[in-house]
Amino acid sequence: MAQNINPHYASSSNPAKQSEDTIKLKDNHAVSKRLQKELMELMRCADKGISAFPESENLFKWIGTINGPQDTVYSGHKYKLSLEFPNSYPYAPPVVKFLTPCFHPNVDTCGLICLDILKDKWTALYDVRTVLLSIQSLLAEPNTQSPLNQQASYLWPNQPAYKKYLEEFYNKHKDS
Amino acid sequence: MLFSDCSDEEYQEIQEIIIGLAIQIKIRDLVLVHIEKYLRQHVAPSFWAKFLKVEEEVKGFQLFKSAVNDLYESLKNFSPILNKLNTLNNCCGDNKPIFGERDVLMGFKQLLRATLLSQLPLDFPVIINHFYKISFNVFDNEYENSEMPDDIMCSGCWNESIDCNCAYIVKIFHDTNRKLVELQLLERLTGQVLTNFIQLRIESHIQKVCAGTFDVSHIGFLENWLDTTVMSWLTRIYCAGSSKPQPDDHIVLNAISKFKQKLSYFLYHSYTKLRIDQLFNIVIDYPDSQAAVDDIKLCLDKTDLRSTLCKKLQNALETRLLHPGVNTTDILTAYISTIRALRHLDPSGVILETVTKPVRSYLRNREDTVRSVVSSLTEEGAGSELAEELVKFAVDNDNENDKEEDWDEWEPDPVDADPKINSCDRKASDIISMLVNVYGSKELFVNEYRTLLADRLLGQSVINTEKEIRYLELLKLRFGESQLHFCEVMLRDVSDSKRLNALIQQDRNFESLNSKFSSNAMILSAQFWPPFKDESLELPEDIKQHFEAYTKCYETLKGNRTLSWKPHLGNVNIEIEIGTKKLDLIVSPFNATLIMHFQNKPEWSLEELHQVMKVPITILRRKITYWQSLGIITEKTTDNYALVDGSEASKPSGSRNQVQDMICEDEETESVMASAHDQREGELQVFWSYIVGMLTNLDSLPLERIHQMLKMFASQAPGTECSLQELRQFLDTKVRTHQLILQAGMYKLPKT
Repeated sequence: MAQNINPHYASSSNPAKQSEDTIKLKDNHAVSKRLQKELMELMRCADKGISAFPESENLFKWIGTINGPQDTVYSGHKYKLSLEFPNSYPYAPPVVKFLTPCFHPNVDTCGLICLDILKDKWTALYDVRTVLLSIQSLLAEPNTQSPLNQQASYLWPNQPAYKKYLEEFYNKHKDS
Repeated sequence: MLFSDCSDEEYQEIQEIIIGLAIQIKIRDLVLVHIEKYLRQHVAPSFWAKFLKVEEEVKGFQLFKSAVNDLYESLKNFSPILNKLNTLNNCCGDNKPIFGERDVLMGFKQLLRATLLSQLPLDFPVIINHFYKISFNVFDNEYENSEMPDDIMCSGCWNESIDCNCAYIVKIFHDTNRKLVELQLLERLTGQVLTNFIQLRIESHIQKVCAGTFDVSHIGFLENWLDTTVMSWLTRIYCAGSSKPQPDDHIVLNAISKFKQKLSYFLYHSYTKLRIDQLFNIVIDYPDSQAAVDDIKLCLDKTDLRSTLCKKLQNALETRLLHPGVNTTDILTAYISTIRALRHLDPSGVILETVTKPVRSYLRNREDTVRSVVSSLTEEGAGSELAEELVKFAVDNDNENDKEEDWDEWEPDPVDADPKINSCDRKASDIISMLVNVYGSKELFVNEYRTLLADRLLGQSVINTEKEIRYLELLKLRFGESQLHFCEVMLRDVSDSKRLNALIQQDRNFESLNSKFSSNAMILSAQFWPPFKDESLELPEDIKQHFEAYTKCYETLKGNRTLSWKPHLGNVNIEIEIGTKKLDLIVSPFNATLIMHFQNKPEWSLEELHQVMKVPITILRRKITYWQSLGIITEKTTDNYALVDGSEASKPSGSRNQVQDMICEDEETESVMASAHDQREGELQVFWSYIVGMLTNLDSLPLERIHQMLKMFASQAPGTECSLQELRQFLDTKVRTHQLILQAGMYKLPKT
């Protein structure tokens, strides 16, 4: 039955959806342009310790790298993250996850991050660079008030023990 | 023999008896068998016995003559028998063909040929060769040297003129030929020899007539020569001396016309071959050699030498042109005339494409190709074919609209064309675009032109802007407006600077400073000019102040803009007075600064100069030789320089002047622009940050992926056309400097 519908009717019956599609398409172009610009910016003024690049030909999926901030328990470690940009970017935040296992009060075992600017505090003024810098500083100063990882949150005040645990944690993960 | 001894009446009786007994068929066959046997056992061996391998030509001549004569005589003896046999055969009425022929006489000839040829000895052509050689010599003499005065030697028969044998030889020759034609043996026995001879003649004639001259069309003369001289020999041979064949003799006419076809093909073939061997020279001489090219064009249609032509010319180009000993400009000139000549030769462009492939790839590897092309594009006067071509293009462009109407003149591509390439592209591309296509992109050319233009604009003190604008307009027609926009701005900068200079000079604030010396600035829009070579130079305090004042004036004139000085560019007019000596010089700012420092303090060490001028010591040492060569500064001790006082300065030695000339020249040729290579390096540095970004996040990537990613994500950066090859080279240099690691085909960043 369905295939017998006159395509003319079919398309005109849902004008709202059609216009939405075209908007989306147009937006899509704008989004790629913005992402491309961000990439250029990121490449031009390469900050120490953060970096990101599209994973493949798809401009909406990036891989980011963060070096653990100096003078913290995380210094010397490197973290890979995945960044996925929605079509409504930059009006909606990208979905950022840790790919490298990260033992941290605000990162859960799947790599999900609890960071306000990635949720409700997001504005279109943020970009990849600021997101990565924020995550880098989150590593240095976790928000122990609303932890995703209870154990880490509990351990955090005792930095030497935390560091010791962290080394064990990574050694374990390196093996596996 | 059977019937030889009886008279006609007796034979009549015998025949009646035979018919009465009804054995006429048997008798006839019996006679034929006997004749056959006789021919086989006597006639043929005695004929071939004369075909000896003799060395002397005259002997061979005589042998062949007597062989043919004897054969002819002995066959004549057969004629009574054959006559009688004929009458007998007529009575048989069985219509049985005799050796495939209706007629007894024809059958006999057939039998004779068969018998003779069945016993053909191996070296039979030897004396035939001699025979014809001598005869041809006589003929040659007759035709070619008819206007020559009587010599002591007759060049026909090599006898002394008094007892010249020529007439005799001609007579014998015709006689023998007539006999052979009559026996229908001419073609079989002498055909090969004859053809060889004529071909040799044709070849030597072509060599004689056509060697070395390309400016006359020869093919008409050659055809004519073949028609008259050669064909008249042939006709004479076939028709026993008369120069015109019997109009009703179809066999002879046929044979002659067939021979002629063969020969004219051979004529074209050998002429084309000769021309192909000379093709490189022809091509270089083009368009003076147009006639020769026309000839080749005509002949190529009649012969199958296209592929030979391509191969030979390609080889010639490779061995004579494409080696390091040849200047790029010479290669370009040759390439241009090759394009022109082959365009004319083959309008479809297929030959051109095949032949010039190695030239193009060779030019691509030469560093100064682009520069040579661009400079010859904008050069004036002799040797600037490209400049003419550029002007021509502008003219042509106007009347190119009626192309669509030629659809009914469409022709398919030649079979050897590359099907991947559009035939229109092949035809349409003119010389300049073919040169541009050597690199595959206009951009490189436009960039190089920009650098060249910048050099010219800055190098000349008096700028002929009109000329430059004219060229720019022509180039715009060719490369498009947008590509040359930068150059337009550059030219406008020049005229704007003149105006601004005048304005600033009038400015009252500036005038007060202007008392010491006057200055003239060239104001360039940094964005649009190619990058300059960066050289540091600290100017003396006076001049710096002067410049600052100038900048201030400029800033008031043009809001929001300022000047950033390039102190190392430009010219300075200076006047030097040492003692009695006075020098007027135009020098570079560098040299002027150097000597100004000596004005205040007569002795400097290199280290001190380095402190003041902020220039590397090595460069200082090099530059100071200019003043040394003028005899104004001497090196007192190592790295310590002092001003020469007036008395010493009055006599600079001759050898020093030479040094000066050399140095001055050296400075003039140096371009102030960063070379294309350096610019490219800079552009690739942009990629480097992308590559680093890529590899930090994605660990390791193969070359192709990097190339692909760059194409996708780094395409807004300038100079983004980066071939895989170029990228590989670039990455390899990074590997060499340990900035990258290449592991199993994957590039990686080294661990920090």
